[in-house]
Amino acid sequence: MDDRHDFGNEAAGDVSASAYANAATRIGLDVGTSKVVTAQGDSRASQAAAQLNAFIGVTYTKLAEVTLQQNRVPHFRQGDELIVYGSAAERFAHMFNAECRRPMARGILNPQESAATYVLECILSMLVPQAPRKGETLAFSVPAGAGDMESELTYHEETLKHFLRSRGYTPIAVNEGLAVVLAELANESFTGIGISCGGGMCNVALAYLSIPSLTFSIAKGGDFIDSSVGQVVHEPATRIKAIKEDDLDLTRPSEDKVIKALQIYYDKLIQSLVDELYRTVTRSQKLPRTDKPLPIVLAGGTAKPHGFRDRFEEMLLRRQMPFEVGEIRLADDPLTATARGTLVAALAER
Amino acid sequence: MSVAAPYWPQKYRGERQACGPELTAELLEISDDIDDPVIKLQFLREAIDGQDAYERRVQRVPWAPIRRALFRLHGLRALAPALAQADFESQEIVHYRMLAARARVRRLMGGAVCAALLVMPLLTVAVAWRWNSDPPQPLTAATVTPAALRAAPPGLAAPLAVQPAAQSFPPPPPVAEFLPEELGQAPSEIFRADSGKDWEIYSNGLRVETGFVVRGKQRRYRIGDRQRGLSAEVYNQPVGILFHTSESDLWPLEANYEGRLRQSSTELIKYVQREQAYNYLIDRFGRVYRVVADETRASHAGNSVWAQGEDIYLDLNAAFIGISFESRWQGLKGEPEEGRALPITRAQLIAGRNLTNLLRQRFKIAPEMCVTHGLTSVAPRQFLIGYHRDWATGFPFAAFGLPDQYAQPPASVAVFGFEHDGNFLRAVGKLNPGLITAERMLTTEAQNRGITLDALRQERRALYQRWRDQLRGKRAAASEAPLQQVAVK
Repeated sequence: MDDRHDFGNEAAGDVSASAYANAATRIGLDVGTSKVVTAQGDSRASQAAAQLNAFIGVTYTKLAEVTLQQNRVPHFRQGDELIVYGSAAERFAHMFNAECRRPMARGILNPQESAATYVLECILSMLVPQAPRKGETLAFSVPAGAGDMESELTYHEETLKHFLRSRGYTPIAVNEGLAVVLAELANESFTGIGISCGGGMCNVALAYLSIPSLTFSIAKGGDFIDSSVGQVVHEPATRIKAIKEDDLDLTRPSEDKVIKALQIYYDKLIQSLVDELYRTVTRSQKLPRTDKPLPIVLAGGTAKPHGFRDRFEEMLLRRQMPFEVGEIRLADDPLTATARGTLVAALAER
Repeated sequence: MSVAAPYWPQKYRGERQACGPELTAELLEISDDIDDPVIKLQFLREAIDGQDAYERRVQRVPWAPIRRALFRLHGLRALAPALAQADFESQEIVHYRMLAARARVRRLMGGAVCAALLVMPLLTVAVAWRWNSDPPQPLTAATVTPAALRAAPPGLAAPLAVQPAAQSFPPPPPVAEFLPEELGQAPSEIFRADSGKDWEIYSNGLRVETGFVVRGKQRRYRIGDRQRGLSAEVYNQPVGILFHTSESDLWPLEANYEGRLRQSSTELIKYVQREQAYNYLIDRFGRVYRVVADETRASHAGNSVWAQGEDIYLDLNAAFIGISFESRWQGLKGEPEEGRALPITRAQLIAGRNLTNLLRQRFKIAPEMCVTHGLTSVAPRQFLIGYHRDWATGFPFAAFGLPDQYAQPPASVAVFGFEHDGNFLRAVGKLNPGLITAERMLTTEAQNRGITLDALRQERRALYQRWRDQLRGKRAAASEAPLQQVAVK
């Protein structure tokens, strides 16, 4: 790693420590497979910032390096490659009709990418400044352990903590599903089910008075849809992602083969999520006893397409849940819900 | 001055049990008045985190109004630090509410102490009277010979050879469910030893709670025979026992959950009574509740089939007694439809065995007629077995002194040509030997008759459909038949 030259911190320049210097504001951080989102502010208002959690390698030439520097594109040099990271990576991927690489997979650091930790730290540096006060609390999201990934999850969490401590923060980890509950279910005293449908996985938490009674995740998310559709229609996943994020409507039948395939794989994802939710709640002995209907909030970029909520509700209501299902709704801003929830947790720490 | 919260790495991650309903109710009431989400979260966490011991202590208070008042005071105390930065007016409101809550706790506790002082003399007299009228008997230790156990007649616990012990037993381990295997003397027959307004005690130690019992509909059923068809006679005595799981919510069998365990069982009993769902219910502490009288039928079996020799029984509500264990059929790791029953408690096992022995003796029920719901339940439209799957696998027949019913070819498959689907196979993990035998019987018969297996199944299914139609037609007539036409099997 000695030959890495990081230009990210200078190039990105979208945050500064002074922006967070207000004593009443803190930072909540959603470290997702697809995007890294921060929410900063106080209990009344917050502002969000996001970067794509991706990178792409381009062949090193002096000219290319100068061009990147002049255009303030965050990058570093690694051997004979220039690694462009963050949201800029997607533009380059479209330009070269190539796939973005990911420092994270299935919600945790990607073991297939040797540069994963360094790239993630570079992306985080663009969003998280040095702490204005030593020991300032920062809450960040972590996925729920899924089956055999406990050891990888520990590594992922400790790596993030190590980085955040190095920037002067006292980090606290918040379950991703719980963060959705904290962001969206304050009026219900933080009681209900939060579901964060991200790029790498879907995280679910059933919380009762803010206590996570049940958490789980499934290792399927937007990436699963993109790659599955890409394979069947022979298009790069990056292009599928763009179509998906543009104008996908899950309620409207379509003759377009990409849209059709997207609808099929969305249904598959939602069905897996509902099946796992049913299995987990019926098996759990920690399920709180309550006569009140439990509301469900859907968040995350994968939950954004029109009709996602309806398809989820339709599939969920086919199952006989051991509790009464209350209102099922989409988060106010699905992309920032997790970050806003972590911000609530950070602000609540005294 | 605010004090930093203790470092708790799992605070917003680790799964934990939610707090109890009384504390929850008080916290919700306070929480509803808080608009700011951050203060609300601070308040809830202050009131809940690390307060398990306090909640347990308060739950020991025997009077609910005092418990609620203590929980309310606890909640308001937790709110105070969360409002440290809030405006003066909010702080003042909370302060006055706290004073009012404290006064209420004092009033209630004072009242309780006064009441206790008044009742105490009466209690003392009552205890002294019982003490004098029922002197304690000295206990002698004894050992048991295993050979005597093995020589016991089937269906009943063994009469035990008792020898004086050379030395005394060590004290039993402090676990309520622990019981040394096959220890103690059992009666040669089971009889009612004592009874009260809401209970009966039997000579094998079985206690049956009778406070919830209701009468169901009269048992009236007919028996099928492959050669002779359905019997003309109508029978009204139970000939079998069907074991079920209650499919209700379960709490951990731990001291902290005694209230929830009790509440859960009480709600379940009321539900079973209202629906007349089973004849008996055995709760997790092994208490046996008679809910629907033995002579009458409960709605427990649904579409179901079982056979004894040539006698074939359809829709077993009338012919079988339903015993349900407070337990649940659970999903297996990996697949949504897969399942197994959660293990029943030792207390349930002992109570279930004693109850089975009593019913078998009283109604002369053959051991092969004691079977689980999951082995008999069918879906008639799809001609599939395992519509209900409670104990489609894993029932401890041996512990009940019963033959392994999983090795018996089920009549639904062998006689009526029902099949299993992938969901059933996933649920049971692998096909039980009885099912394999039944499938083989069908295949062999098809080969011997020179017809396809499908053709044979169609023939058998037509027989089932015919019997079912007949039973449905005649069932109405039988229910109107005068009692003298009802034969007792």
